[in-house]
Amino acid sequence: MTLDIDTGLLAAALDRIIPPVDDLPGAGAMGLAEEVIARSRADFRFSDALDTVVNALPSPNAFTALDGEGQDGAIRALESSHPDDFNLWLDVVYTIYYMQPAVHRRMNWHGRSPQPEGNVMPPWDESVLGVTRQREPFWRKA
Amino acid sequence: MTSPIHNPDRTADVLIVGAGASGAAVAASLSEAGFDVVCIEQGHWQDSFKYPTIEPDYELRAMSSWSINPNKRRLPEDYPVNVDDSAIEPVMFNGVGGSTILWAAHTPRLHPSDFRVKTLDGVAEDWPISYEDLEPWYDLNDQVMGCAGIAGDPANPPRSERPMPPIPIGRDGEMLAGAFDRLGWHWWPSDNYVNSTRYGEGRDACNFCGHNMMGCYQRAKSSTDLNYWPRAIDQGTELVTGARVREITTDLAGSATGVSYLDPGGNDRHRAARAVVVAANGIGTPRLLLLSNSEKHPNGLANSSGLVGKNLMFHVYAGVTGIFPDNEDRWVGPAANMILSQEFYETDPGRGFVRGYSYQTGRGQGPGATARGGSRRVPWGADHHVQMQRRFGNTVSLGIIGDDLPEEHNSVTLDEYLTDGSGLPAPKITYRVSDNSRAILDHALVQGQKVLEEAGASEIMINPHSREAGWHLMGTARMGDDPERSVVDRNGQSHDIDNLFIVDGSVFVTGGAVNPTPTIQAIALRTADYITRERKDLKTR
Repeated sequence: MTLDIDTGLLAAALDRIIPPVDDLPGAGAMGLAEEVIARSRADFRFSDALDTVVNALPSPNAFTALDGEGQDGAIRALESSHPDDFNLWLDVVYTIYYMQPAVHRRMNWHGRSPQPEGNVMPPWDESVLGVTRQREPFWRKA
Repeated sequence: MTSPIHNPDRTADVLIVGAGASGAAVAASLSEAGFDVVCIEQGHWQDSFKYPTIEPDYELRAMSSWSINPNKRRLPEDYPVNVDDSAIEPVMFNGVGGSTILWAAHTPRLHPSDFRVKTLDGVAEDWPISYEDLEPWYDLNDQVMGCAGIAGDPANPPRSERPMPPIPIGRDGEMLAGAFDRLGWHWWPSDNYVNSTRYGEGRDACNFCGHNMMGCYQRAKSSTDLNYWPRAIDQGTELVTGARVREITTDLAGSATGVSYLDPGGNDRHRAARAVVVAANGIGTPRLLLLSNSEKHPNGLANSSGLVGKNLMFHVYAGVTGIFPDNEDRWVGPAANMILSQEFYETDPGRGFVRGYSYQTGRGQGPGATARGGSRRVPWGADHHVQMQRRFGNTVSLGIIGDDLPEEHNSVTLDEYLTDGSGLPAPKITYRVSDNSRAILDHALVQGQKVLEEAGASEIMINPHSREAGWHLMGTARMGDDPERSVVDRNGQSHDIDNLFIVDGSVFVTGGAVNPTPTIQAIALRTADYITRERKDLKTR
C-alpha cells in the first residue's frame, strides 16, 4: 500500500535538501516533488523509502510552520532514525535534481546523455611510458 | 539474433548452462569443433541501441532496472541473493553475454605466483595448472574478445602483442602516472576489452562516453553476445533464452543426462545431453549443483568433497578519491580503464600480510552519481552546492582490488525461505572479510593516499570497504588433483561425474588481485579443448 503523498510537504522538505542557488529555486520550488513521487512509484525500493520518509516527517502543517533551522532539525532526526530509507530517498532526489536541464545550465555542463555523442580524448601517446618502461621485470617466478 | 531450428527432443552432445563469459566461449569452441551444442540461459539478448546511456535518466536507471545488483534490479530473469550475513554484496547480470554486458572490461591476467600460493606463501592451495598452461588460451581469448593494450609491462611475464593499441589514458591518467613515476612505483596502461580502434564485426572504437559499465551503445566494449555468440550460432549452437534451469538430471549410474528447466511460459521441460557444462557463475553454479540433489547425490551434484559452495571469494575492494579542483572534465574516457599499478601485488613479508593488491584507476561520473558519492555523499542542505561544485568533474580515484584467499566458512548455500520468481530456493551468501584481507586494504589505503597527494589532490576521501563490489564470484567448486579437496579436476571435469564440467569462476583455487574474466574465459577455452581432444565419445556428428 502506497501513501497518498502531500506534495506541499515533500516540496518543503526538498527545498531544505537542495536549497536555492544563484537564480535557481530550491528543488521543491522547482516543482520536483511530483517527479520524485512518480519516479519513486516505478521502483518498489524507491517507493518504500519515499513512504517511510514522508511518514516520519512531521505533519504538513507542523513542518511548514517550522523555520528553516527547525525543518533541518526534523530532517536530521529522520536521517538518524531511518538511515537506510533516508539515504536511498536522498539518492533518488539528488539523481532527479541533476537530471534537470536548468540545473545543467547553471553548472555550465552540457547535460547530454553519454551516448551517442560521447567525448573526445587526446590520442594514445607512448612517450608517457618513458620512466616506467625502464624498470626491470619484477614479477615473481613460480 | 535467433537460433536455427533445432529438434528439442534430440539428445545434444553438450548442454551448457549459462550464456555469459565462459558459456559463450565453450559454445563457440565446441560447435566449431563439430559438437552438437545447446545452451540454456535464463536471461535474454540485449539490444545495444537501447542501453540506458542513450536516455536522459540513465543515472536513475543505474539505480533500478539497470543496477549491477540483482537484488535491486529484480528483473524476472534475476534471482534474489540473501546477503544478510555477507560483508560484500554480489553483483552480476543475467542475459546473453552475462556480466560482460555490465562490466568495465578491465582485463589483466593472473600472475604466475597466483597459481602457487601454497608453495610460495604457505597459504590456501596451489592450482593444479600453471600460468603457462593457460597462456595460449589467454592469448586466443584476447584475440576473440579484442584486447587493447601494450606489451612490456615489467610487473607481468612477457606476452604477445595485443590486437589493438591502448585506450588513451587521458590527462587524468597521465597525472596519476606521473605521480607513480615520481614515487618510483609501477604503473602500466590497463589491458582492456574495449576497442581503441574498430575491431570485430559491427564494433566501433570507444567514443569515451565514460559509462561503459552500463552497456556499450558503440559496441566498443566487448561482451560475448558480440563475438563468441555469433560464432557459436553460426556453427549451429542452439541458444534457448528466458529459460531457467532448475536441476541437472542424472541416471541410475549417477551420470548427467541433461537438465530440467522452466521455459519462458513457466512450463517444466527437459533437455537431454551426453554431457553438461555448467557456466552459471560462482554463485549460480553451486546453487544449481546443490539444487540437483537426489538419492544418488544427497548433498548435491559433484559434491562428494563437501566443497560445493565453499571457499567463496569475491576480491575485497576499497578506494581513495582525490579532488583536483581545476575543472578538467574528469569523466571523459572509459570509467575504470586508465592505468593500473601492481607495485604491491606480490608478497612482501615486511608488510604484515600475504599476497597483495592492484590499484585500478577510476574517473568521475555524471552529476547524479557524483552527488550520491559512493561512500561519501555530497551533504544535503546549505553546504550542498559548494561541495557539489568542488567534486563534480574534479575527482579521480584509485580503486584497490585485494587478494581474497579462500576460507571454507565463506560460502554459498540454499536459503531456507527465500525463493526466486520460479519458486526455486535462492542462494544465501555467508562471507566475512579476513584479517589478511583487511591488512591488505589498510596498507593500500595508506599508499594510495601518497599517490593522490603526489598527484596534487587538494582533498582525499577514503572508502575503507566497498560493499556492493562482489563482481568476481570465485572458488565455490574449485579445481584440484585431490578429489577430497576439490570439486573438478584440472580440466574442469567433475571428480564424481565424468560427463559434468564446470567452467566459470567457481573453479578458481585462489583469486589473485585482478579482474578474473580473462582467466575464466581462458579456463573455459582450455576445458573445451580438452573435451574436443579427449571426449570424442560425446560427439555424434
